[in-house]
Amino acid sequence: MKFVGLLLAVCGWLLPVASLTWTSSLALRFIFCLIGIGLCLTGILGFLNRAYVKQAIWKK
Amino acid sequence: MRRTKFNILMCKFMFVTYFVFLCGVPAWAQTPSQPTTSTQASPAPAMNTPLAVSEASPPSAAEMAKGDPSGTLTGNVNDVPVSNAKKGLTLGDALNQIGQNKVAINFVWTLVTGFLVMFMQAGFAAVETGLCRAKNANHTMMMNFMVYGFGLFAYWVCGFALQMGGAAGVASLGGAAPLSGEFALHIAGKTWGLWGTHGFFLTQGGTYDVAVMVLFLFEMVFMDTAATIVTGGCAERWKFAAFAMSSVFLAAITYPLFANWAWGGGWLSQLGSNYGLGSGYADFAGSGVVHAVGGLSALAVAIIVGPRIGKYNRDGSSNAIPGHDITMVLIGCFILAFGWFGFNPGSTLGASGGGALRIGTIAVDTMLAGATGSFGAIFYMWIRYGKPDASMTGNGLLAGLVAITAPSGFVNTIGAAIIGLIAGLLVCLSVEFIDRIAHIDDPVGAISVHGTCGLWGVISVGLFADGTGMGSVKGLFYGEPSQLVAQLIGVATLLGFVFSLSFVFNLFVDYFVGQRVSPQAELEGLDIPEMGALGYPEFVLKMQGPGMAAGAA
Repeated sequence: MKFVGLLLAVCGWLLPVASLTWTSSLALRFIFCLIGIGLCLTGILGFLNRAYVKQAIWKK
Repeated sequence: MRRTKFNILMCKFMFVTYFVFLCGVPAWAQTPSQPTTSTQASPAPAMNTPLAVSEASPPSAAEMAKGDPSGTLTGNVNDVPVSNAKKGLTLGDALNQIGQNKVAINFVWTLVTGFLVMFMQAGFAAVETGLCRAKNANHTMMMNFMVYGFGLFAYWVCGFALQMGGAAGVASLGGAAPLSGEFALHIAGKTWGLWGTHGFFLTQGGTYDVAVMVLFLFEMVFMDTAATIVTGGCAERWKFAAFAMSSVFLAAITYPLFANWAWGGGWLSQLGSNYGLGSGYADFAGSGVVHAVGGLSALAVAIIVGPRIGKYNRDGSSNAIPGHDITMVLIGCFILAFGWFGFNPGSTLGASGGGALRIGTIAVDTMLAGATGSFGAIFYMWIRYGKPDASMTGNGLLAGLVAITAPSGFVNTIGAAIIGLIAGLLVCLSVEFIDRIAHIDDPVGAISVHGTCGLWGVISVGLFADGTGMGSVKGLFYGEPSQLVAQLIGVATLLGFVFSLSFVFNLFVDYFVGQRVSPQAELEGLDIPEMGALGYPEFVLKMQGPGMAAGAA
C-alpha cells in the first residue's frame, strides 16, 4: 500500500510533465494536469496515509 | 543703580558671547574652507564635460561651513568620486555613481527585507510553542531555534549552489555574474535546467562576490522558513535527532531543487519559453517554493511519525488538544505578519529600477490578503461553532498571507482580497479534513496553512494575475489560460516530487534513527527526555487524563 501510494504520487507528477512533449493542445495539457494532481492526492492520502492509519497507535 | 549694574553685566555677557562665537565657529566647523566628504579628499576639480559642476550648483565652502540644519546642502556633486583627479569629474564618473546608487539601494532593500524574514523565525517559534502543551515548550522552541543553524549550515554547504548556482542575471543586484553554472538535460530539443553548479561554500565558481552574498542571505532566510514549517506539523512527538537530520536534508536537497526549478532558471520557470505556457511557472515570493514545500514535507513527516497519544479515540474520533498559551500564538502571528512585509515586497530584490516600485502594491496586497484571510477563518468558525476561535483566526491570517505570497507581485488589490478570503475559508476546511478524515495529527495546522494554502496561492496566480506586475504574468481571468496550466504543473510537481522525496528520505531517517520518541517520553513531555530541561521549571504540570498533561497547576 505504501509503495503503491508513493508510485501513484510520482506518476501523478510525471504525467503532466510528460504531456508537455506528447501534445501541444492546451486543453489536453490541462486535463493531464488535473488527472496528475488527482493521482498524487489519491496516492498520498488514499494509499500511503491509509496504510499508516491502519497501523496507528490509537487503533492498538 | 541696580538697573545700571544689570545693564553693564548684560553688555559684558554679550561681548563675551560674541567673542566666543567668533573664535568658536571655525573650530566647530573643523574644515570650513573645504566641504569634503568621505569619498573625496579634495574639492571636485573643474569639469571637462558638458555636465559642469556649475550646472549642478554645489554649495560653496562658506555655505557648508555654516552647517546644514535643513538637510538641503549635504549630498551634492562634490560627493561623486572622480576616477582621475587630473581630468576631474567626468560624465562617466557620474553615470557610474548613478549605477552604484541603484545597486546600493537594491542591496540595502534586499538585506533589510531579508532581516525581516529572518525575524519571522521568532514568530514561528511563538506560534508553534503556544499551540503546543507546556510540557513540550522547551522542545518545540528549540526545534524552531536550531532549524536556523542546521538549515543555514546545509544551505551554505550546498543548498544555495543547487538552487541559485545557475541563476546569473539578477539585474537588480548588479548581475551576480558568477552564478552561471546550471546542470541541464536536453530533451526533445528543449533545455531542462535541473540544478545549479556554482556557489558551494559561497566560494566555488568565483562566488566570493558581494551580489552573491546579498542573494544568499535573502534566499537563505526563505529556505529557513520552509524548514521551520515542518517542526510545527510534527511537534510534541518528533525525536530531536530525527528533526535535525530531516532539516539538514530539506535545506540541502529538497528545497533547493524545487527552488532551482522555479527561481534558479530551472525547467519550471522555462515552461513559457519552451512550451508556450504563459510566462512559465510563476511564484513571486514562494507560496509554492517556500510554503508548499514546507507544508508537504510536514505532511510526509507527520504521516510517518503518526498522531500524538490521546489525539484519537479507538473509534477514530479526534480529541482537541489545546495549546498552552494563546497570547503567545497571536503575538507570533503578528510577528509573522510583520515579517511578511520583508517576504513579499523584498522578493523584488530591489527598490530601484526594473519595475521594483511595484513594492507599494505588493505590500498592500500582502496586508489585504492577511486581513481577509482572518475574516474568512473567523466567520467560518463563528458560524459553524458559535464562537470566533482565536487560534483559527490567527491561522486564517497566516493562510491569507501564505496564499498571497505567490501572486503578490502579479495581482491587484481586489484579487488579493479574494485570494486571502478563500484561503481563510480553505484553511478551516483543510484543518477539519486533515484532522477528522485523514486522521493526520497536525498540532499547529502547518499542513493546512502552508501546504493547502500554499498550493492555492500557486493556482491563484494562474487565475488572478492581471498582466501589470513583474514579468507581465497574466492569468485565466485576464485572458491567458496557459498560465494556469503552468501553475498546475507546479502543483503536480510539489505533490509528486517534493512530497515523495521528503517522504523517502524521512523513511530512511525513521529506519536508522527513529522519527518518534518513546510513549513514555511523550506522556512525560519532551522537555526532560529530549532536551534535559523544562520550558517552565517553576510550573507544576498536572495530568488531565491519559497522555494529556497540560497547563500549569
